[in-house]
Amino acid sequence: MVHLTIDGKHIEVPEGTTVLRAAQQAGIHIPTLCDHPHLTPYGGCRLCLVDVKGARTLQPSCTLPATEGLEVTTVNEQISDARKFVLSMIFSERNHFCPYCQVSGGDCELQNAAYEQGMTHWMIQPNWNTYKVDASNPYFSYEANRCILCRRCVRTCQELVGNFTLGVEQRGAASILVADLGVPLGESTCVSCGMCVQNCPTGAMMDRRAAYRGLSADAETIKTICTGCSVGCGIEVTIRDNNIIAINGDYDSPVNQGVICKIGRWQSLEAMDSGVAVKTPMIRKNGELVSASWEEALAFASKAIDTTRQSLAALASSSLSVETLYAFKKLFVDGLAIQSVSASEMGKYTNAQKSLAVTNGVFEGHLSALNNADCVVTIGEDLIHQHEVVGFMIKRNLPKGTALICVDTDGSAYGNLPNSVIKINPGTEQQLVKGLIAGMVKLGVKSCACDGCKNPDQVVQDAANATGVESTLILDAAYILGNAQSPVIVYGSTVTSDVDASTLTTIKCLSDMISAEMISVKGNANSVASAQFGLDQPVDMHTAKAAVIVLGDKQPCDELLNAVSKVNTKIVFSAYQNALVETADVVFPVNNWAEEEGHFINMDGTVQKRSQILAANGQGKASAQAIHDLAAQLGFSIDDHWMEALQSTPASVTIA
Amino acid sequence: MTKPKVASDWLAGCSGCHMSLLDMDERLLDIIDLVDLRATPITDLKHPDKDGVDVGILEGGINNSANLAVAKMMRERCKILVALGDCAVFGGVPAMRNFFDLDETVRYVYTQTMSMDKEAIVPKDPELAVPQRVQALSEVIKVDVFVPGCPPSPDAIYHVLSELAQGRLPNLTGNLLDWH
Ligand code: SF4
Ligand code: SF4
Ligand code: SF4
Ligand code: SF4
Ligand code: FES
Repeated sequence: MVHLTIDGKHIEVPEGTTVLRAAQQAGIHIPTLCDHPHLTPYGGCRLCLVDVKGARTLQPSCTLPATEGLEVTTVNEQISDARKFVLSMIFSERNHFCPYCQVSGGDCELQNAAYEQGMTHWMIQPNWNTYKVDASNPYFSYEANRCILCRRCVRTCQELVGNFTLGVEQRGAASILVADLGVPLGESTCVSCGMCVQNCPTGAMMDRRAAYRGLSADAETIKTICTGCSVGCGIEVTIRDNNIIAINGDYDSPVNQGVICKIGRWQSLEAMDSGVAVKTPMIRKNGELVSASWEEALAFASKAIDTTRQSLAALASSSLSVETLYAFKKLFVDGLAIQSVSASEMGKYTNAQKSLAVTNGVFEGHLSALNNADCVVTIGEDLIHQHEVVGFMIKRNLPKGTALICVDTDGSAYGNLPNSVIKINPGTEQQLVKGLIAGMVKLGVKSCACDGCKNPDQVVQDAANATGVESTLILDAAYILGNAQSPVIVYGSTVTSDVDASTLTTIKCLSDMISAEMISVKGNANSVASAQFGLDQPVDMHTAKAAVIVLGDKQPCDELLNAVSKVNTKIVFSAYQNALVETADVVFPVNNWAEEEGHFINMDGTVQKRSQILAANGQGKASAQAIHDLAAQLGFSIDDHWMEALQSTPASVTIA
Repeated sequence: MTKPKVASDWLAGCSGCHMSLLDMDERLLDIIDLVDLRATPITDLKHPDKDGVDVGILEGGINNSANLAVAKMMRERCKILVALGDCAVFGGVPAMRNFFDLDETVRYVYTQTMSMDKEAIVPKDPELAVPQRVQALSEVIKVDVFVPGCPPSPDAIYHVLSELAQGRLPNLTGNLLDWH
């Protein structure tokens, strides 16, 4: 601990704390621009200058370490003049036209800083050089005329996202932000996560959808979660007049610690913006779908279900809430005793773990393990394009020396990362893992007494033959892995779909040897819950005479459309019009993700609640309610003991 | 005490700042009680008194030789010069044309815009003002009070005028300091 005084206040902070953070902890405000609480201090803007007793010049507090006995003053005339000068220099560096900037009026940190210093005008005029606007990315644009070169975006892209797209070219006044080696953003390696937009203090980075829809002061911000995939990232949704203005990552969420991907920020709004909502229940009459009342539609559906029970199939999206999936299971599995009932992924992401959990109990860890991993092995999952935030959590640690070993049949997704990509023949994940185990034994970095490891040379050779990977590469990877202090193994669908869990058993063996954390990605937002409810069986829709399909706000995939093309009677619950709705016999309008609340179990077992953030329009009901109504029509009542049901089957993760 | 004399004029602006001044509504009567309102572009008297006024208010930046002359005359004839609005303070919307070549801009505006017919020409007459790159007032004349805003709110203008009328230099803070 070190002791210092700031504006006469005695403060104690741990060693290594900056003066700025010490002041903030003590409730003393120091204006900043290039500083961001979640990024490494940079010290570029000089707005945070403070007076340090004994120092010849003012010091930037954001990079100045607090030291014993330091005496700091944050407000005096010299400091105030310096701040005004700093701001004038920043304004004169580019061309700021506040009246038509989307963040002017409260959401611009630069403008706010100028107001705070009482600036009614600039001491120096803009430079009038023209800077191009980069509008090549579909979701955000970069307006260099408003850029203050604070590099918050650059640090965000590196330190939080691990994408390393942004950088600054040239020096001094000629400095310019570039993507990659100077290509338009839309043609760069940018993955459109929008974290740079979220962290930009000015109007330079513009969220194209959110711009001019309203400033923070006109809107309300609600914390909830993204249900775009099984990561379950915390998000902050800004709403105004029952419309979503913007979505940002929630830094308070322990799951994603603020970082989100393009699905969570932008794509989850696409259906809302351009989809056509199903407004009323509909029934097919004389070949035409016509509007009906809920009563009529429920009566129609329950009659159809009653008469086709023997050959009925029911499928629900695994992106629906726990409450909906539970009601669905209670009605179709427990109530109507239908055989062919499942959720959309049919166990693809959960089969193997569920099998192994029967004998092993919980064996998977938390996503947060990735933050401290010194070695990460990914097996059978493209984390660059799926579950992107998990990919970010891995890639951002690479500069700190974390070793990444990607075992993949393609490997191209990881192509530009400076790490071992082990490209294997399809279906040989298990052999490769066996090779890694034997490799560690052969190299003497780990020992194993099992039969398989008696002749490690042979096992490594067999693995090389089967996987098509050079044995030296297997040994290199085994060496890194065997010497890792806090390794994490992340695996996906090629491993998890197998009910016999044979590959997973081998991975578990590897994990035990090196004390690794195991993490599996789980596909959709509620794949874990679907599996715990037993909604993970393969279902052949082709042979069904009638089908109940609960889509929620998801679109039907081609596979599903194909599978149900010959089904006589289709009962569909959908928020939007789509190809399945068009061929349905009864359609129930349900709410979209923003209009209904519910719980979700993410990939590491964290139970989270999604809040309702918009009022529903039309006659749509929450999906769970719609199923409750159908159950009532069929004479069943459904309890709400979903938590007990979730925990009654062994799971690979702690559900809490 | 004699009432301070106030005159105003507009240059390269949109007259929005003067509209915002009128938007003070009944508070305008308070101001009239406190000051002797002389020449303004929206009253009959067009030029500030030759023997000077206490406060001169200018809306808009400088975009041609006529603006320049008006600005200089106001500066010469007033004790305290107020730059009213973003165009006067920063250059504002008209200043965006500084990003383009001046001759090309003039040619485009007179011949290429939607409302121009085929025979459109760039007018040439020695009587006409000569265009120049747009400047904020402070680049050309000394400004004593900056009132940013596009336009400044009636509250801000009221505050500025009532402070000046009572012999104080206004200090814009809080909600009154807003560049928009
Ligand atoms: S970025 Fe800020 S200072 Fe620059 S034009 Fe926009 S609101 Fe004004
Ligand atoms: S784009 Fe924004 S975050 Fe990036 S350097 Fe410019 S002002 Fe800073
Ligand atoms: S959107 Fe994401 S990946 Fe693209 S430049 Fe910004 S931070 Fe980097
Ligand atoms: S990683 Fe998944 S949960 Fe997180 S923002 Fe992206 S889609 Fe949403
Ligand atoms: S906040 Fe300290 S230099 Fe920018």
